[in-house]
Amino acid sequence: MRDFAQKWTAFPEWSEAELLRDGWRARVVPGLSQTLVSGALDKAWAQLGPEGAEVGLWQIASPETPYRVRIARDRALLVSPEAMAFDPGWHADGWAATVADNSYAVLELEGSETRNVVSEATTADLDAGSPSAATLFAGLQSVLLYRTAEARVRLHVESGYLPYLWRWLETRPE
Amino acid sequence: MQRFPCPFCGLRDETEFHYGGEAGNDRPEPAAEVSDQGWAEYLHIETNPKGRSREIWVHMTCGEFFLLERDTVTHEVFASESLRRAAP
Repeated sequence: MRDFAQKWTAFPEWSEAELLRDGWRARVVPGLSQTLVSGALDKAWAQLGPEGAEVGLWQIASPETPYRVRIARDRALLVSPEAMAFDPGWHADGWAATVADNSYAVLELEGSETRNVVSEATTADLDAGSPSAATLFAGLQSVLLYRTAEARVRLHVESGYLPYLWRWLETRPE
Repeated sequence: MQRFPCPFCGLRDETEFHYGGEAGNDRPEPAAEVSDQGWAEYLHIETNPKGRSREIWVHMTCGEFFLLERDTVTHEVFASESLRRAAP
């Protein structure tokens, strides 16, 4: 019988994985609550409560409290360090909330060279910013890119692509 | 390398966009009465103007469909407009 396991990229134990490079390091951020909110966002926020500030591309969020990462005109990811209580599913006034804790893996890059690493992966103009944090990153569509400090970046990537993105970072020439 | 203006996200590199077709090339209806020639013209025949053109594009990272007016010779972009309708 053919061993199809050999087809897949080997990956580390994410809870312990860390990349240490000259001027930057990377790790996986575990345990964040992630909720995908779609539709009439103003009505969704009115019901979900004032859950922190909204961040777009390269903007800085406060990671100690809940915040919203804007994806599109009618879509955002509500991120929280603590579990959030909400009613998932479709709501009659035009919005939906979906548990996305395991849909996105969250990578954190930190250090003085972080910006150079990010600049190699995306063509987006970081200084110009953008209302949407979604960008093409290392060839992956719709990676969410923002910061939680001046030299600390968070990336939300579809979980299935995490091994690829990790390898991209791991094998990136210094 | 070009940069296109997504009506929501602003200027982004062309690699984030996908061409959707010429604006105004509406799907023929009713489908059951459309001839083979009609389908072929709808699917495969484009006017492909040299110069100012109106095209449908989608910004792949945010999913916004929009109308882009640009010059296919000079690559100058004149306007981009969201194709979303207001919620009823």
